[in-house]
Amino acid sequence: MTQSPTLSRRASSAPSQPRKSRRRGADARAGYTFLLPWLLGFIALTVGPMISSLYLSFTNYNLFDAPKWIGLDNYTTLLQDERFLQSVGVTLQYVVFGTPLKLAAALAIAMLLNSKRKGQGFYRSAFYAPSLIGASVSIAIVWKAMFGDSGPVDQGLSFFGINLGGWVGNPNMTMGMMILLTVWQFGAPMVIFLAGLKQIPADLYEAASMDGAGPVRKFLNITWPMLSPVIFFNLLMETIHAFQIFASAYIISNGEGGPAGSTLFYTLYLYLRGFSDFRMGYASAMAWLLVIVVGIITLIFFKTSKSWVHYSGDAK
Amino acid sequence: MIDRRKFLTTVALGTASAAFLSACGQSSSSGQTGSADKPVTITYTWWGNDDRAERTRKAIALFETKNPDIKVNGNFSDFAGYWQKRATEAAGGGLPDVMQWDLSYLRDYGQRNQLLDLGTVKINTDGFDKSLLPSGQIKGKTFGIPTSTNAFAVYYDPAKLASLGIAEPDGSWNYKEFNAFLAEVGQKGNGTLFGGTDYTSVWWNFNIWLRQNNIKAFTDEGKLGFSKDDLKKWWNLSADLRGTAAIVGEDKTTQLLPKSPFGSNVTATEVTWDNFMAGYLADSGAKELKLVPVPSDDPDNLGLFLKPSMLMVASAKTKYKDAAARFIDFMVNDPEVGQIFKTSRGVPTSKTQRDGTTFEGTDKLVVDYEKSIEKYLKDAPEPPIVGFGTLESTFKRVSSDLNYGKLTIDGAADAWFKEAEDLIKQNA
Repeated sequence: MTQSPTLSRRASSAPSQPRKSRRRGADARAGYTFLLPWLLGFIALTVGPMISSLYLSFTNYNLFDAPKWIGLDNYTTLLQDERFLQSVGVTLQYVVFGTPLKLAAALAIAMLLNSKRKGQGFYRSAFYAPSLIGASVSIAIVWKAMFGDSGPVDQGLSFFGINLGGWVGNPNMTMGMMILLTVWQFGAPMVIFLAGLKQIPADLYEAASMDGAGPVRKFLNITWPMLSPVIFFNLLMETIHAFQIFASAYIISNGEGGPAGSTLFYTLYLYLRGFSDFRMGYASAMAWLLVIVVGIITLIFFKTSKSWVHYSGDAK
Repeated sequence: MIDRRKFLTTVALGTASAAFLSACGQSSSSGQTGSADKPVTITYTWWGNDDRAERTRKAIALFETKNPDIKVNGNFSDFAGYWQKRATEAAGGGLPDVMQWDLSYLRDYGQRNQLLDLGTVKINTDGFDKSLLPSGQIKGKTFGIPTSTNAFAVYYDPAKLASLGIAEPDGSWNYKEFNAFLAEVGQKGNGTLFGGTDYTSVWWNFNIWLRQNNIKAFTDEGKLGFSKDDLKKWWNLSADLRGTAAIVGEDKTTQLLPKSPFGSNVTATEVTWDNFMAGYLADSGAKELKLVPVPSDDPDNLGLFLKPSMLMVASAKTKYKDAAARFIDFMVNDPEVGQIFKTSRGVPTSKTQRDGTTFEGTDKLVVDYEKSIEKYLKDAPEPPIVGFGTLESTFKRVSSDLNYGKLTIDGAADAWFKEAEDLIKQNA
């Protein structure tokens, strides 16, 4: 604690203890020096662009001419923009259905892989692999081919007498396809769940068994509460992640959010507005709206988490 | 401690001076021209399919043999993604040195100082039809050099029509007759072959129909020259065909992207630009495709015109103006380049290139088609407005929603007009 290089501390302690403060000052300088690369990067690559994008969101900016100040116009136009509202709907649908399904799959597989059995390492890596390559462009392309007209999925389903045709061109099927794609990439939360499951003391389960508890009971009364901090973490991260879906939607819809706007995700529309229609101010306004909404949702998660997330050592 | 500090200072100084020196070195050697030992490298980008990529690579190789002091780094994508990439690059100040360009986007970039004024460099346009050069010019500056011309046409596959027992069209038809033709193909095609794609979903086709009705698409003041009712009338032309076998379903069309349904042998006809011939032949594997004029309710006014099918432009920020100019000059004038591309870019604009190219077989069909419609040709349409690229893609999107049944004709017209009015206001 004595070495924490805060400026106020140095200022307040400087007159009374000149010697000690000189050393502390040197420490602080060294600290800041080592911090400098990151700090510069943070200011130049994160804070700077954010401030300029906030400014641009109040302007009419076409990428080429100087931005023109138009106040809140972008924000008010947004609310009357049908495609914007559509993109909000599409994204919410994806977040609300995709995220819980993905987490459920991750938890279920993690529990399966938690018990000791032959070839455990193989299964773990096999299930984790899709999420390693999942965000890549090539997977989206393969996915598109799989669900295309007379692709393997169409063929497989028609073998069972289900004739849906290709999913890629059908606006009623694309959302299901996108959700399947994200569920399939459950590897990252699965690994975290697995680590969490390992932390649960085995004697809890043994005791429960002796009391005659079945698997459902054990899950509800031991696994779920013991794992709740991990569940909370995964839920938060995956929700934020889901809001930002872009690459796969871009590839599968040829960069247009089609068919019939069914894959017009928020970030895709933002991108199209900025780089197809040269309306960077508008796109910036959309970006800031997303920041605010994700911020609010995160806040709600934290507030409600108190009632269901249990940390060991809690008074409850 | 001191040693380490000294060491760090030395390293920092060393790095800085090395960077400084290399920067100096770069600026002295990166002059306008290269030499055979030390060629300059320019970047070139185009849109198109594999067929065009193959031809372009040949042309680049030929250019490099003839100009050993210049290397060309080529790169291509499909049309839709092409413009998003250019916008990103323009925002970052890093447009490729030379680019294939489209009329729709010439104003957006030219008026905003992103393109090089090609009047300031040496490009030979002596062999060009003088009526075509202005299409690359804005306010006295030449931003684009047209490589070639194209005209709108109806493609059909004679073999497919023959297999269905349908007579080949002669191209003198009104919209009613055209619709009947599409319906007949669809009916006899029996679910495996459709009449065509929805011809009302293409902006340029609408533009031709406006001209047939003596309506200007855009006024000289950069406003819309037609009404919402005109647009509704246009989309109503094929209203009876939507959802029938006369027009291929939008879900199929989407699946087949980036190929067109015609190129994928799903339809027997397609209404589009005549220079798509080579691409369609390569995509579909058909032996022969033929061209006839578009339908018109006024047999004396087909609304057709020659459009520069594509332009060559250079980035305003290119470091190698001369190299870029030489490459453009080569691409539009060299007879051997004409021989490589034939009509796949359109019919060459430069006389030297046209004369140096032998047009045979299907290429001859394209040249003959443009000759056959000569008497109908009118002036090229008024130059599209700033932001036209967005309007064109919105037209396509809204038409697609119409075909999916997600929008009514009224709704589609409202959606397009809202976008157009908003865009005109934005750029005012």
